[in-house]
Amino acid sequence: MTTAVPASRRPTKPRRSPLIYVGIAAFIIITLISVSERWGIGLDIGGIIADLGRGEGILRQMLNPNWEFLPRVIEFSSQPPFVTGPLVETFQMAVVAAFIGCAIALPISFLSSRTTVPNRATLAVSRGILSVVRAIPDILYALIFVAALGIGPLPGILALIFFNIGVVAKLLSETVDAVDTGPIEAVDAGGSSRTQMVRWAVLPQVLPNYVAFSLYAFELNVRASTVLGIVGAGGIGFLLRTQYAFRAWSNVSVIIICLFVVVFLIELVSIRLRRRLV
Amino acid sequence: MSSRPVDATRRPARPSSLKRNLWITGAAALLLWAALNVGVDVTDLTTLPSGLYAVFYEMYLKSGPDLGYLDKAVPAMIESLQMAWVGTIIGAVLSLPLGFLGAKNVSSGLVSSVMRQILNAIRAFPELILAVAIFIPIAGLGPVAGTLAIGLHSAGTLGKLTAEAIEGIDEGPMEAARAAGARGMQIQRWGVLPQVLPEMLGFWLYRFEINIRAGAVLGVVGAGGIGFLLDQTLKFHRYPQAGTVILVVIVATIIVDTISGRVRRRIIEGSDSTQVPEVDLQAVSTTAD
Amino acid sequence: MIIFDKASVTYPGGVHALKDLTLEIPDGEMLVTVGLSGAGKSTLIRAINGLVPLTGGDVIVNGVSVRGASSKQLRELRSHIGMIFQTFNLVKRTSVLNNVLMGRLHSTSTWRSMLGWYRPDDVEIAMQALERVDIIEKAYVRAANLSGGQQQRVGIARALAQEPNILLADEPVASLDPPTSHVVMRDLQRINRELGITTIVNLHFLDLAKVYGERIVGLRAGELVYDGTGAQADENVFRDIYGRSLTADDLMGAPEPAPATVSA
Repeated sequence: MTTAVPASRRPTKPRRSPLIYVGIAAFIIITLISVSERWGIGLDIGGIIADLGRGEGILRQMLNPNWEFLPRVIEFSSQPPFVTGPLVETFQMAVVAAFIGCAIALPISFLSSRTTVPNRATLAVSRGILSVVRAIPDILYALIFVAALGIGPLPGILALIFFNIGVVAKLLSETVDAVDTGPIEAVDAGGSSRTQMVRWAVLPQVLPNYVAFSLYAFELNVRASTVLGIVGAGGIGFLLRTQYAFRAWSNVSVIIICLFVVVFLIELVSIRLRRRLV
Repeated sequence: MSSRPVDATRRPARPSSLKRNLWITGAAALLLWAALNVGVDVTDLTTLPSGLYAVFYEMYLKSGPDLGYLDKAVPAMIESLQMAWVGTIIGAVLSLPLGFLGAKNVSSGLVSSVMRQILNAIRAFPELILAVAIFIPIAGLGPVAGTLAIGLHSAGTLGKLTAEAIEGIDEGPMEAARAAGARGMQIQRWGVLPQVLPEMLGFWLYRFEINIRAGAVLGVVGAGGIGFLLDQTLKFHRYPQAGTVILVVIVATIIVDTISGRVRRRIIEGSDSTQVPEVDLQAVSTTAD
Repeated sequence: MIIFDKASVTYPGGVHALKDLTLEIPDGEMLVTVGLSGAGKSTLIRAINGLVPLTGGDVIVNGVSVRGASSKQLRELRSHIGMIFQTFNLVKRTSVLNNVLMGRLHSTSTWRSMLGWYRPDDVEIAMQALERVDIIEKAYVRAANLSGGQQQRVGIARALAQEPNILLADEPVASLDPPTSHVVMRDLQRINRELGITTIVNLHFLDLAKVYGERIVGLRAGELVYDGTGAQADENVFRDIYGRSLTADDLMGAPEPAPATVSA
């Protein structure tokens, strides 16, 4: 490059907003505190690597699954209900909770969306309630329902229902927020009521999304219900906890393998179904 | 209305809803089978209102929640938050190489398929199970086990989301970098990364919000955080204390959710000034948690 | 000097994109290739920097065989060949300067390029490239905020920042309006004359090709069917190359505007 223009026209490099440096500093400080022994969790990478040896014996047992344990996890028969066992209970809990939870989530999402609820105050209240519902982890719901009802699959199903509502209502209300207002205008112009407007102008637009979100919630349910049993709310979690307590690692590994297979299969079906909807 | 006769034979036949009806029947059958066999006695539901009320009464109405318990609950919740924070960072850091390796357009077809299966395997296990089966045996009881469980699970989910984001980019800048003689890592850094970074930051924050819940609950199996108090107070029927703990969890979660939501919106606005944040059905349809 | 020696490219689907192409392009020449979509123009250009692998014959660029080059040699070769694209291929989310600096990536160490800590010399080269295409004042502007013509000029600057001896342009003006297209083509012409860089341009519009092509090469179905000057190329020549009569779509239409009245 021999014919260069004089350097005077070059713009100056813009200054980065100081907010970014503040943000990065805050991030580093929070992380350092969180990792420290005194104020945080005490993460010691060296110690962990040294401890990896401790797990070796356990790992060896786990790599040798005890398949005779399988009937306690899942049993097949030629009579209805054809398949039983804690693993099946987990699946059934997920199914029931998905249907009920997603059904309830549908009206709730309409109540939480700007598009269908113009009244600011009502909207704020319903969104607030939804925030609280979502803020409670599924296991906490399970603990509460176990305290209220005792051990068994029912508290688990109830917990999953609330969990479902939180997930699906939030996702769906965001979709409804973004919906095309054209059909709504058309229905209003024809003099319809609010419910008719929702039924005919909004619902058809969000139906594919709704089904996709429901399938997604079902997948989450299956995973969540595997752990709810740990606190006594039904399903395979309880069996896992007992075997774990007995240090029966070969049995534990059978449970884990079965879990993985179930989750994998369901995900396969779910993803395929969801793709058809988009 | 004209008086010309309408030729009714030209009307198209009503399209068949056979397929749709089959799906609906199948779903109904599934529901019926599940509901009847899950071992739930529906009459138990009648005890639900009184059961719940009893619990609620003990926690909040009888003598109010035990506010003195806050000095145990708050530090424990902070520990849960720290577990979520560090766990999310671990997950995010791991997800970068995993995501790049898992993207068809950046690594070879074979490598990316294998990596996606590995990521699916990791994602299949909830944090609780990872903690119970892997990290407590290794690191012992306590928050480190919980943090690592959160970290590993998050790496799986974030890795998958990252790989999908990378697969969705405009490959033009990658071609330009290649045409200029750039090396592999340079092509990723300048051709791929600038396009996916804002999306990734969004995933990381969303994951942090979800991980708060995991952090709150892992203590139930002894992997650190406020879950331990939750389990103990309910198991021993110390309801006023349990009430306090639950309040702390809810309040802390909502606060973090709100802050994180705001930051996420700032990031989306910063990167794309004309974009309105929309729920992406594609994103949900091919991901799970 | 670029030499095509019976170069052939057959895509996996069976499409013969280039058939035994033999061509010599001396240093400093401004060559325009024309032909229908699918005739092989894009393939010809990408065979020069190896973005498309050859299935037969060879292409020898500055004495280096493209077909036999290892990936390291290929990268070295590409660093001396600048390329500009129909869709500009800029990283929209980052600044103009960062885009141009991508032209210096080959000579920047990996860790420096990860962090974006380019050497001052490299930054100077990038700045000068921007000055040469007269868009320096937009150096820190996000690429997405520029017009099409401006983005293409940034693309040219990125190629120039490599300090190349060959410039490849694959339909550089197909996405631009007529006045802007002339500005960009004139920039390419100026660069070719002032810096002596061998320039090869694929053009879709035949009237543009005639104005800017010192030498025009016509491709049809992967074969070379015409090789002559811009002056010699008239309607009949183009009809031969295309194998059909010309339509309005083949001509851009707008006449070359007077200089200094157009800014893109």
